[in-house]
Formats: sequence, structure tokens, C-alpha cells
Amino acid sequence: MKPVSPDESMRGAAAGGDLTAAHQSYFGQPVLKRPHWDWKVVAYLFIGGIMGGSGILAALADGSRDKADRTLARSSRYLSLSLAAISPVMLIAHLGRPERFHHMLRIFKLKSVMSMGVWGLLLFSNVALVNAAHQLAEDGKAPRAFRALPRAAVGLMQAGLGAFMAGYTGVLLSATAIPLWAKGKRHIPAISVCSSVASACAANAIVLALVGGPARTISKLERLEFVAACAEAVLLLHFRRHAGESGEAMFSGHLGQSLRNFTLIGGLALPMAHNGMAFAPLRPTQHGLRTILVSALTLMGGYVFRYVLIEAGKASADDPQLALRPPQ
Amino acid sequence: MAKGFFTDTTLCIGCKACEVACKQWNQLPAEEYEFSAKSYDNTMQLSGTTWRHVKFIERTTAEDGVPASRWLMMSDVCKHCTHAGCLEACPTGAIIRNEFDDVYVQPDVCNGCGYCVPSCPFGVIDMVAQAAVPSVGPAAGDRDCGSLASGGVEGDESVLQRPSGIAAKCTLCYDRQNIAMTPACAKACPTESIQFGDVDDLKARAKERVTELRTRGVKGYLYGVDETTSVGDLNAFFLLTEPSEAYNLPAKPVLPSTHQPAGYAAAAAAAAVLALAGIAIFWVAPSGPGAA
Ligand code: SF4
Ligand code: SF4
Repeated sequence: MKPVSPDESMRGAAAGGDLTAAHQSYFGQPVLKRPHWDWKVVAYLFIGGIMGGSGILAALADGSRDKADRTLARSSRYLSLSLAAISPVMLIAHLGRPERFHHMLRIFKLKSVMSMGVWGLLLFSNVALVNAAHQLAEDGKAPRAFRALPRAAVGLMQAGLGAFMAGYTGVLLSATAIPLWAKGKRHIPAISVCSSVASACAANAIVLALVGGPARTISKLERLEFVAACAEAVLLLHFRRHAGESGEAMFSGHLGQSLRNFTLIGGLALPMAHNGMAFAPLRPTQHGLRTILVSALTLMGGYVFRYVLIEAGKASADDPQLALRPPQ
Repeated sequence: MAKGFFTDTTLCIGCKACEVACKQWNQLPAEEYEFSAKSYDNTMQLSGTTWRHVKFIERTTAEDGVPASRWLMMSDVCKHCTHAGCLEACPTGAIIRNEFDDVYVQPDVCNGCGYCVPSCPFGVIDMVAQAAVPSVGPAAGDRDCGSLASGGVEGDESVLQRPSGIAAKCTLCYDRQNIAMTPACAKACPTESIQFGDVDDLKARAKERVTELRTRGVKGYLYGVDETTSVGDLNAFFLLTEPSEAYNLPAKPVLPSTHQPAGYAAAAAAAAVLALAGIAIFWVAPSGPGAA
């Protein structure tokens, strides 16, 4: 039998075959299936981001020689642990079979970003617990014995795991066939990290403002938030150009409008205009209410970004033309 | 030895016997009645409860100026990929490669995280919603091996008890294969458009068929054989006669996990930049207003 080499010109329009516009898909039917993820997943991405970002802030504050930063070490450690208690609830609630959550702990699978994330969350929670116990002991609310814990090492671990928690959700989305997410395989993970750090700065600034924390530390948070927000804005705008057709659902229509108003303008540009002032050398101001308002804007922007990302991903799955020509 | 399907679309007459046989054997509920107004097809796609689906593709051509229409019929199914996106994504290990080299979802292990669904480059696997399971009879959770179960409740043959809230797709009739039976769809197909067997044998047979068709002036090719994509060959492959897009199949499917290295690297780079900024702001720079 003579082996038949596949006739490349037959393979598909992408490979040079000819197709009239009307026949480029099966009645315009979606090629891909939408994920069933709803607001619980959006909330998980958002909370996990603040949690991870707070882990990084805890290490920064702990390593600082400035006594004022002790308040931030306290707030970020407690915040990190509290959010580590909420995020598994969101994760479990989104499952079709929540009572089988522990099946994710049967295996450790490097190839599955979901598996890595679950193990990351588990590790992070434990490290956050140890770190919070240390803080409790320092605050005199727990046995002094906890102070013997290796603080620097645990702090560093929490920062590393925090960075993972802040970024892995972006990798999780981009390692799918969904056209928008696949197209953003570099952008989405990087934007997730930036948005998480900015949100963590904002959340901790709110806590510090509420407990009357030192203005100096709030100022530092504002500066870091400014840097993270700058990076996020640049990456988002670059992603818009890079995504092209795949990005239509995210950057135009009602989702695009939400992204522009609530993330790009409300959640990034406005807070940046305010936080940029933190770089001015001597600025003896009382923060208070203004800090809380500006930080709330940043948090809103972070939530809306994740909401738009998930919903626009679903919409892009419905377009057969995008799915028939996946980015290689 | 790898077992699979060779679906020869040139033989398909669109009778949907495979679709029905699959529903019957696997006790899959009917889809909701919906008039698609698109060809003779109201099901339109594979789903968590439709594991074989016959596409009715209408083509109109003008032969010598006279418009003519013809049909391309194709029985679609899970491809049982060599490198399966769904299997790689699954965090519970519910999706396995079984002893027949097919991709199988263990219904009692899946916890319904839904990650496999967007990870299939062919849009095959889907969630089975709670509503898809009738509320009569014992709770679905009590009988987790629905697709392997042989019948309804005693005395009530009409009650279907598929597990719900989990992902589902073609099992390549794992249960039938286990007792050396041909999968239900291939058994029911009256034209042998669906052939079941050792994948290597099927491939050889399929290549012969392509040659034969060419001598008759029909240009066909195999989709899922000798592939160079990251998904690799398909254990359920097809003989097609039009560009793959006409069948809603990507010409060059991509295995989603190939995006991971770039993604992790980008996240790490962003984290490193922000960590350095944080160190500069918290540890190095003068502490701003009121610094001691
Ligand atoms: S076609 Fe989709 S569901 Fe089937 S094995 Fe391949 S990736 Fe999995
Ligand atoms: S829904 Fe089930 S089969 Fe799919 S990835 Fe999650 S646990 Fe695995």
C-alpha cells in the first residue's frame, strides 16, 4: 500500500485551503465550551490577590528598619490570614460537588495549574498562620513561646508563596483554549500580579487609616501602589493592542466600558493621581478619609478587572473564528 | 493496545443511530427541545449529556451555473487526544488514560471544578448541570458510577440517574470495551462510517480508504493522523473532505498547557520588579515626612 501524505491544501483555511466566508464554521456554532465560573471565581481571584499581596507586604514591613512600619507588619499579617480563611470558601463553593473538595488533595500535579494553586493556597495558609501566631505573641495576645519561630525564614516563605498566589490565577486562565485568555498568556499573569499588589497596598492602607496608623507608612504604601498601578495600566493598554480581535469582548462593548470606567479611569488613573503625590518629599498631611476613599477606588478597579476578564473570556469562547485559529 | 474510532464522513448518511445508541447505552437524558432552524440539527453540539453528535453541514455549489446543494454529514465525538488538554488540567486526577489508551473521566472522583471544560481545544467536555438529572429515585450522589450502571431503579425503568455537578464526555464505552464489546455507536452505525478497533489498524485502513477515494476523484484527508500539533494524533480520528473549519474543527489545535512556561515567567518577572520597587520604597529610600 502506498502511504498517503495528507494533502496540506485540504487541511483548512488557515493552511491555505479555500473557504467562502459563509462556510467558515458550522452555522456559527461555538467551537469551545464556556467555563461555568461565576462571581465566586471572580471573588476568589480578587481575595487571593489581596491575600498574596499582603504576604509580600508583610515581609517588606518586617524587614524595614523604620519603626513606623511595625503597624503594617501587623495589619498585613492579620489580613493575610483572614483572607486565607475566606478564599477556600469561595473555591469550594464554586465546585459542582463541594463535598468532594478534598479530591484535589489526592494528587500533586505540576501540569495542572489548578492543582498547583490548591497546594499553593494550602501552604500559604499554613505559613500565614505561623506568621500571624508570631504577631499575636509580639502583641502579647499569645504565648511568648511563639516568638521563638524563625521569623525571617517564615516571612520570606510567605512573600514567595504570596507572589505565587498573586500570579498563578493569571497562568490558570491563560493555560486554557479560551481565545482571550490564551492570547494574554504573558499579559494576564503579569497584570494579575500588579493588580494584586496594588489591591493589597490599598487594603492595608484602609486598615492603617482606620486604626490611625503612621502617615509615613501609609505614604510608602501609596508609593508602592503607584508603581504597581503604573505597571498594570501600561500592561493593560499594551494587551489591548496585542489582543486584537481576541480582545474585542474585553475592550469594547459593555464589558469594555466597565473596564475603562471602573478599572482604567476609576481604579488606576484617579488613585495614581493621588498616590503620585506621596513621592513629593515633605508632605505633612493627615490621610484619614481621603486614604480610605482612594484605596476603595483601587479595590473596585481590581475587582472589576477580574470580573471583566472572566466574562469577556466566556464571550470570546463563543466566537468560532477565534477558536478555529488559536494563537500557536 | 490503543483502541479508538475511525469516523469516515464520506459514508455517513446522517441517520443519527450513533447518537441514539449512545444515549441509550449510557443512559443520557435528552437535550431540551429547541428548534435551531439550522439544517436538520436541533442538538447542534456535543455536551455533557450528548457524547455523539451528527453535524449536518449544508453546502451549496454552482455546477455549470446551476446551483446544487449537498450534505456533509459528520458524527462528532471526543477525540481521545494523545496529549489531552482536559486530562492535563484536571486537579483531582479524575481524568485518566485507561488501559485502552482512551481518556476517561471517573465520575466518582470529579468534583466539578470545571477546569477541564475550557482546557479542551475542541470544546468537547462539559459540565452536567444539576437540573439535567431528574429528582426522582435515589439521590445522584448515592450512585456515582452512573455511566457504568446497567439500568434504572427496579420497577421504574424510565428513571435516569446520571451523577450531576460533574464533567462528562464520551468514555469510548469503557464498560463495553471491558467485556470485549464494540462501543454502542460503532455497533449501531449501519454504514460503518464509525469503525472501532486498534488505532494502528484503523489508521492503515483509513489511509487505504483515502487512496481509494482519490482514484474516484474524491479528495479526502485524515484529521488526527500523523499530526505535528502539540495535541498530537487523535485516537478518534476522522476522514474529512472539506477544510476542517467547515466541521468546526481547528486546523491546528493547540494544547493549552503549552502556554504555562510563558505565563509563569511573566508572573515571576512582574513579581520581581514589584519586589525590587518595594525594597527601594520600604528599606532604602528616606522615610518621607517626619522621618526620624
Ligand atoms: S477532545 Fe477534548 S475532551 Fe476529548 S480527550 Fe481531547 S481534550 Fe479531552
Ligand atoms: S471538573 Fe472534574 S474532571 Fe474536570 S478538571 Fe475538574 S475535577 Fe477534573
